Amino acid sequence: MIRLTIDDREITVPEGTMVVDAAQELGIDVPIYCYHQALGPLGACRICLVQVEKMPKLVTACTTAVQEGMVVHTRGSAVDKGRQGVLEFLLINHPLDCPVCDKGGECFLQDYTFQYGSAAGRYDEPKIHKLKDAAINEFIIIDQERCVLCQRCVRFMGEYVGEEQLLLEGRGVETVVSTVSHQPMDSQFSGNVIDLCPVGALLSIPYRYKARPWNLERAESVCPHCPVACTTSVTSREGHVIRVEGRPIPGHDWGWLCDRGRFGYDFGYVEDRLLNAWLDGEITSAAESTRTIGSWLNDTLEQHGGDSVAFLVGGQQTMEEAYQIRRFADEVVGTSKVAVSRSVKGYLPLGLNGTFEDLDRADTIVYLGQDPYDAVPVVHLKVRDRYRDNPGLKVIGIGAYDLTRSTVPGDAFVLEPGEEAAFLAYTLAKVAASNPIIARLGEELGDFSPTFKGAKSEQEVETLGRQLLESEHLVLLWDGKDPHMESVLLALRGLREDVTAVLPTFGPANWRGFERAGIAVDYDRLEAFVEEAIQGKIHLLFSIGADLLRDYPDRERAKAALAAIDRVVSVGLFFPEQRELYHAVIPGAGWSEVDGTYTNMEGRMQVAKATVQPPGQSRPVRTYLGSWAHALKKSFVLEPEWDPFDHNAGDLIAKDALPEVQSVPKPARPAMKDGALRLVGTALVMEGGMPSEILQPRIPKYPGRISLADASRLGIGEPGGELGLRGQQGMISVMVAVDERIPQGVLVLPYGVVGSPLNQLGDGAVVEAVSLEEVSLR
Amino acid sequence: MKPEWELWAQEAKAEFPKANSALLPLLHRIQSQEHYLSEDTIRDVAVLLKLPVPYVESVASFYSLYYKNPVGKRIIHVCMGLSCALNGSDELMHHLEGKLGIQEGQTTPDGEVSLLEAECLAACNLAPVAQVNLRFVGPVTEDTADQLLTGEVKS
Amino acid sequence: MTQTFYLLRNQAVPDIDRIEVYEANQGYQALRKALKEYEPKALVEMVKASGLRGRGGAGFPTGMKWSFLPDDGRPRYLVVNSDEAEPGTFKDRELIEKNPHLLIEGMIISSYATGAREAYIYCRGEFLFGSEQLKRAVAEAYQRGYLGENILDSGFSLDIKVYRGAGAYICGEESALLESLEGKRGNPRLKPPFPAVAGLYGMPTVVNNVETICNLPPLVENGPEWYRSMGTEKSPGLKIMSVSGHVNRPGNYEIPLATPLRALIEEYAGGVKGGRQVKAVIPGGSSVPVMTKDQLDTPLDYESILAAGSMLGSGGCIVIDDQTCMVAVSARLLKFYREESCGKCTPCREGTFWMTDVLERMEAGEGTPHDLDLIRDMADNIAGKCFCPLGDAALGVVVSAMKYFPDEFEAHVTEHTCPMGARLYDTVNH
Ligand SMILES: Cc1cc2nc3c(=O)[nH]c(=O)nc-3n(C[C@H](O)[C@H](O)[C@H](O)COP(=O)(O)O)c2cc1C
Ligand code: SF4
Ligand code: FES
Repeated sequence: MIRLTIDDREITVPEGTMVVDAAQELGIDVPIYCYHQALGPLGACRICLVQVEKMPKLVTACTTAVQEGMVVHTRGSAVDKGRQGVLEFLLINHPLDCPVCDKGGECFLQDYTFQYGSAAGRYDEPKIHKLKDAAINEFIIIDQERCVLCQRCVRFMGEYVGEEQLLLEGRGVETVVSTVSHQPMDSQFSGNVIDLCPVGALLSIPYRYKARPWNLERAESVCPHCPVACTTSVTSREGHVIRVEGRPIPGHDWGWLCDRGRFGYDFGYVEDRLLNAWLDGEITSAAESTRTIGSWLNDTLEQHGGDSVAFLVGGQQTMEEAYQIRRFADEVVGTSKVAVSRSVKGYLPLGLNGTFEDLDRADTIVYLGQDPYDAVPVVHLKVRDRYRDNPGLKVIGIGAYDLTRSTVPGDAFVLEPGEEAAFLAYTLAKVAASNPIIARLGEELGDFSPTFKGAKSEQEVETLGRQLLESEHLVLLWDGKDPHMESVLLALRGLREDVTAVLPTFGPANWRGFERAGIAVDYDRLEAFVEEAIQGKIHLLFSIGADLLRDYPDRERAKAALAAIDRVVSVGLFFPEQRELYHAVIPGAGWSEVDGTYTNMEGRMQVAKATVQPPGQSRPVRTYLGSWAHALKKSFVLEPEWDPFDHNAGDLIAKDALPEVQSVPKPARPAMKDGALRLVGTALVMEGGMPSEILQPRIPKYPGRISLADASRLGIGEPGGELGLRGQQGMISVMVAVDERIPQGVLVLPYGVVGSPLNQLGDGAVVEAVSLEEVSLR
Repeated sequence: MKPEWELWAQEAKAEFPKANSALLPLLHRIQSQEHYLSEDTIRDVAVLLKLPVPYVESVASFYSLYYKNPVGKRIIHVCMGLSCALNGSDELMHHLEGKLGIQEGQTTPDGEVSLLEAECLAACNLAPVAQVNLRFVGPVTEDTADQLLTGEVKS
Repeated sequence: MTQTFYLLRNQAVPDIDRIEVYEANQGYQALRKALKEYEPKALVEMVKASGLRGRGGAGFPTGMKWSFLPDDGRPRYLVVNSDEAEPGTFKDRELIEKNPHLLIEGMIISSYATGAREAYIYCRGEFLFGSEQLKRAVAEAYQRGYLGENILDSGFSLDIKVYRGAGAYICGEESALLESLEGKRGNPRLKPPFPAVAGLYGMPTVVNNVETICNLPPLVENGPEWYRSMGTEKSPGLKIMSVSGHVNRPGNYEIPLATPLRALIEEYAGGVKGGRQVKAVIPGGSSVPVMTKDQLDTPLDYESILAAGSMLGSGGCIVIDDQTCMVAVSARLLKFYREESCGKCTPCREGTFWMTDVLERMEAGEGTPHDLDLIRDMADNIAGKCFCPLGDAALGVVVSAMKYFPDEFEAHVTEHTCPMGARLYDTVNH
């Protein structure tokens, strides 16, 4: 630790700390443009000049490391004059168009100019003209004249993300920030450069001219789109969300967002948003619909009893809402049938759940089934952050296709679909067969042996086994698809001496929060619910923020289940798929419209504030619950004393005991005819997800992905094409493109693609390519 | 992409321990054949050296001897450095502009000659000095100025 | 006139760039001696004892620089800086074009001394001929066994590679040079770490100027005492001065340090052209302050010139006669720095741009008295605040010219014309 004095105050900080950060710890603000802790020192802008005693010249606080006994002055006439000079220089080629700049009021250039009062107006030579108002992609506009060449955006994209999509072009005073060959940037992290730009050079197109800092409101929130639940700040104006920004949490999170999270906020305002209540296909008033549904509830309870009523919840609700629903089911309805709508079958015991801090310390990270870049994008950045910090980081991808990518190089094991758990059990048995836990794991494996797409030697398998057992800090990112993986993970935890942390990359986003609110989330529940529905044991269903047809792995069974229920009520932001299966559809309120708590994939609870009113007739769930209780003439107190936070565990949900290890069955390999493909489902935050007009242009036209070999065999060229598929349960057509990471014989399709429902055929199903005419004739 | 570039790239890579170091030499070599570096050429070089396109683009744009736009077969650099200026380089530049009917920084409409300013060429003993396709000529006197336009060109 | 020829001694020998001719003129004898008679450490000690200072501009003691290399077993590199682009300096070009083997011999000795197994010559992009000469000479040296494996049976091996830049003055700054050598934009690096610790490809690296390294063969031949017999205590030895501007015999002259400036101009360079008078001299390349005719008796050594308010720098001596406009001189140089700023840091990028505009406007007769304060203040806002020394380098001439020739600057803004009748190329259409 190093002791130094800044502005007459002493502070002790770790060696290697930059003066600017030490000052920050004391609450002393040193102005910066180019410096960003995540990017490291650059020393380009020179605005952070400070005086250090015994040094002949001013120094930049962002590049000067603290030294024992150093005495720093962050203000004073020399410092102020130096900064004033830098500001004046920055302004000479700046258009000074603050009144029409969206950054006005939130701009570091404007702020510092007020603070240091530049000798304005001394420059009256012609300015250099550069590109203004040029879109660098669908969301971002650049004004090169306002740019201060701090390079944050360029360095973020290149050094930090590893996707070099911005560059410095030219030299000297002619230098500009530009895109590659002037083509649009398509990284899914592009929007972060808006937050990073300290001035008005990179601006959000959707937010453009929407507001000025004095007529907007900002609320702390979290992103609802995936289980990462990045911390955000939501800007609203006149009842509309008009912007989402990353919200850094010092020492914990940099505040990066993916473009889905940053720009997909308009799902509340798209044309499809439900604004009215519908009864049997007709619009009615909210009052009418609640009254009718109340009477359905009353009748069903009278005729069939509490257990004939079921609740299905999806991903949209807050923990508090989930808690209300559970209490309503328990106390008012008297049913135990509450299930969570899900698309994967796995469950992760809370005791295995790791945190993002584990990623910061990991020496080995294993992707199980899914590339985190696709499903939980910001986790990819966290992994990359770790990789930058520790280039020796081992990354291993295990799945039906190559899960690694160049931004974080790793080793890929490409298996037959659905064999991840069996493969790991097999691998562990190779290195420690005599261990009783491993023996238990492998009891039912029989003569299973993996086949690899792309050669892998026995040696490599053994190395993997040893890495799994011996790495110092192991983090596994699991897609939740193969339920037997739970036992493998438990076994690893049981066998390893060092930390074993698992991060579930599967949704629904807040499932851990539902669990905390008392709703069991295991897939068996959902399965039992579907079965009971089909058998006619459910007479009234409340589907809240859920869409069984879209989520449930077997679409035909989901249809049968819904069709067998007397009355199906949906509460949500949108119509569910096949709305004719629903008797009532009433508009719900969602993210940014209700206050509440969400739990992310770490098991961390985070509060999101409401910023706007629910539009049209949409109401929060609790309002509906209250009125239905009223219809039953039962008392239901809406404001119970429930605090999701446990004061011993802080914002993390307290861990509980771990279940026993079960054996992993030998996977059945379906027979493959020549030319057949195996369907592999995956979660893609960009492709799947809520509707958004802003994001529309960026949603890939070809969500399905196949190998080059299959593409050429099937006549799919650049950029992609449509393919008919026939499986045992029907036919779909899907837009596919080539992805070199996919092995021959596999077709990867995201869940939830409108018009190409994977669950029509089934995840893992063997399918055949057929002509499109055949599909349309079905 | 010209077939020989592959070989050139191999040669440049073989000479330096890291692929990046091969970039400047390869750009030089290709430019001497192509006269300038088009966007396509930049992409080709990126592919050849397995470097990101933006990286190559950014590097190429930093150096004044890489041309992003077509230049003449004869590139005349007139040194504008102080020693040359003290010995008449401004007048030399004016003279050449008049002769060629173009301004500094331009190429003749027939695409034959480009007239460019150079910063001090480290040949002040030859002031005023010029380079024709990077070959020094100097001191350039009123009488010899026209030889810049007509003399034999090497590349 | 007493000409001391060591570095330039064979410059006039026909075909001295051919290895046979070089050898016939004692070429590679110093290398044989170094390899046979000296341990590497002893050579470093010899260079230390000689007091040789870097000739690239900063004048840093070479032996000391070499001894900074950490002894940690990592590979080391020697990089020779032949980016010579400091206006007024042209010694390195002449050395490599005319006598490339001298540099190569010096490099082999230096590499042996510092433990480098690989050495690079970073040639300025405009030095097409120079780089061809070097490449050819390197090939010859390989053929004769001076390069490659087990040189002259000494057990020492070395490879030399010639690299050509592509037009950027900033690549003369050693860390920008290393970036460029690694195939990047030539932006200076953050220091520390210094090249001695993490240089080329992150390895310990010595960066030395061409002339510095060319000192090695004569030094090994004649020993440190001989070297110290010339010059002064703190500036021993020989220096090549490039003299240009308004002189009768512009050229490179090798002088013992502490030779008076007047002797350089009058005896070596044949005096001022056309019988005119000296008005100002930029003694060490465009980055150093001017000296006036009253200072012509200053001895040309590092300390004396510093005491006289300027610097020996790279030894690019530009002589300016009494009919020259100092505003024009300043404007011309500022424009150079504006063109050559890498653009990374604000004061250098924007400051040189602005200052050039103001000076060109003044030269075109469109200045106002207020401009003079503005320039001084701008200079103050650049000085000591840039990322690398280029920003400060841009100020040397203009600030000193304003100090020594205030009337000339005043006249431009009060009379709205250049009293010397000068007009700059770029300002003609101002
Ligand atoms: C802007 C700038 C340009 C420079 N240009 C050169 C150059 O062209 N040649 C050179 O040898 N040194 C140049 N230097 C000095 C080098 O950074 C470095 O100090 C030198 O190469 C070290 O060699 P020496 O110790 O032998 O002098 C330059 C420095 C700066 C700041
Ligand atoms: S665009 Fe913004 S972030 Fe990028 S360099 Fe310019 S000022 Fe910096
Ligand atoms: S020249 Fe670029 S920072 Fe100094």
